[in-house]
Amino acid sequence: MMELEQLSARALAAAIRGKKVSSLEATRAAIGRLAAAHELTNCTLSLDAEEALAAAKACDAAIAAGKPAGPLAGVPLAHKDMFDRTGKIASWGARIRAEAPATQDATVIARYKAAGALQIAALHLTEFAFGPTGHNYVLGHARNPWDPTRITGGSSAGTAAAVAYGAIPAGLGSDTGGSLRLPAAACGVCSIKPTWGRVSRAGAMPLAPALDTIGIIARHMEDLALMLGLLAGADPRDPAAGTLPVPDYLARLDDPIRGARLGIDAAVVGSAHPDVQGMLQRVTKILEKQGLVTAACRFPDWQTLDHLVQLTQMPDCSAAHAAYLRSRPNDYGPQVRARLELGHFIGAVDHLTALRARGSYLRRTLEQTFKDIDIAILPIFADPVPTIAELDIGGGPTLQAAMARVVKYTRPINYLGLPTLALPVPRAGGLPNGIQLVGRPYAEAQLLAVGRAYQREVPPEVARPLA
Amino acid sequence: MAEQTIDPQPEPAAEAGPAAGLAMPPERRRAAQAHAAQLSDTAAKVAAELPLSADVDDFRRILTAAARP
Repeated sequence: MMELEQLSARALAAAIRGKKVSSLEATRAAIGRLAAAHELTNCTLSLDAEEALAAAKACDAAIAAGKPAGPLAGVPLAHKDMFDRTGKIASWGARIRAEAPATQDATVIARYKAAGALQIAALHLTEFAFGPTGHNYVLGHARNPWDPTRITGGSSAGTAAAVAYGAIPAGLGSDTGGSLRLPAAACGVCSIKPTWGRVSRAGAMPLAPALDTIGIIARHMEDLALMLGLLAGADPRDPAAGTLPVPDYLARLDDPIRGARLGIDAAVVGSAHPDVQGMLQRVTKILEKQGLVTAACRFPDWQTLDHLVQLTQMPDCSAAHAAYLRSRPNDYGPQVRARLELGHFIGAVDHLTALRARGSYLRRTLEQTFKDIDIAILPIFADPVPTIAELDIGGGPTLQAAMARVVKYTRPINYLGLPTLALPVPRAGGLPNGIQLVGRPYAEAQLLAVGRAYQREVPPEVARPLA
Repeated sequence: MAEQTIDPQPEPAAEAGPAAGLAMPPERRRAAQAHAAQLSDTAAKVAAELPLSADVDDFRRILTAAARP
């Protein structure tokens, strides 16, 4: 009996194409697993079972008729509920929603469909994707599949929980300040946050367009590679989508990585919890064993980067919500409301200073931080994964400081726009956590090759509650 | 003796600008102002080192020029 929950999307697609399993069986099984995952984690916002089962039958019929099948033919996926789908209204994790159904699929949804993938559900996210913990005061908090008292991380909470549980092999998320990396780390799975502009955002709910990045959460490195290859590239619907050629990430997964230089900024890492520093050292040793060479590096002043990303993000987010924040303030949860208010207090000159300085800080990072290294390694969470109760602080006075601690290692990287791969640390029987590998612009192929080597030592796991 | 009346004083600055009209309790408004002021200090330091020619599009240009696919 094939263990469907363990398979990568790529392997499942091959099994469906090879008629070892039908798309209908795989989709029924995924819907069943997602129901179990939802009961444990609150990961699902809406189910598209009938539609997905009909598409699965059509896929099986096409394969039986010998028609060409795409690289994800018949594979059941599910995504963060922030992408337009024709005829549907995405929840955005919120009470305030679009007034009319979408008339066109988001580009990333359309590209997955063109590859043959099915969508079985729309998944949980923090309200408006604006929160790093998985708390959602409007639709309910997400719970960690390893320990339901702990946070999933956010905002792509449902995707990470469902992928970790093995309900789906992979799904879409977004990252404006850590929203792919934090849930990947908390749930013990992988994510790729591509270079800003590598993947089109057309039809995705905007949070802070200067920073928003669409990416993938998966258990297997080959799925990140396959799916990034399908999603990346120019899009006339998103002028910010880069026009650079898209490498064959899958073919490059086994690129040699021996001798690649891995940078550690001891000063930045030094303010993480000792347990997290220990995790970082363990991962570094594994990567050294795979042939990477460690070296010291130094980022620009981390607090300055953190302030600059806030000056960029907060007014960007607040501008989009300015009218609703006045007309329907009580339709926002307390945490998002307080964070959206903050952006109104940041002046236009300060906001534009941060945007004008962004190129200068990126150049400095490339010329200094990356002068003698290829990849930088950083924590994702500064601390062990917190409980839901610990961070259940609503919009209270500790909110900004608590959120700042959660996104300490993720948010500044969004300001620099650099690609980042999140990897789970070896659990050794305990709770998951993760580290991030930060690459040069558009160096996703190198990051994925390193990730592939890492997974030889730390293979993907399916999450179940720890005893 | 006539009772002395004191005109209510509007909260300085908070009543004007983009944050005017937001239904916020005073303590959250003060906290937001303090946080924004801290960020503004950083912006001022950064601005002091930034050449006049710095442009918001520099970021995208550098990101693309430095591509190592």
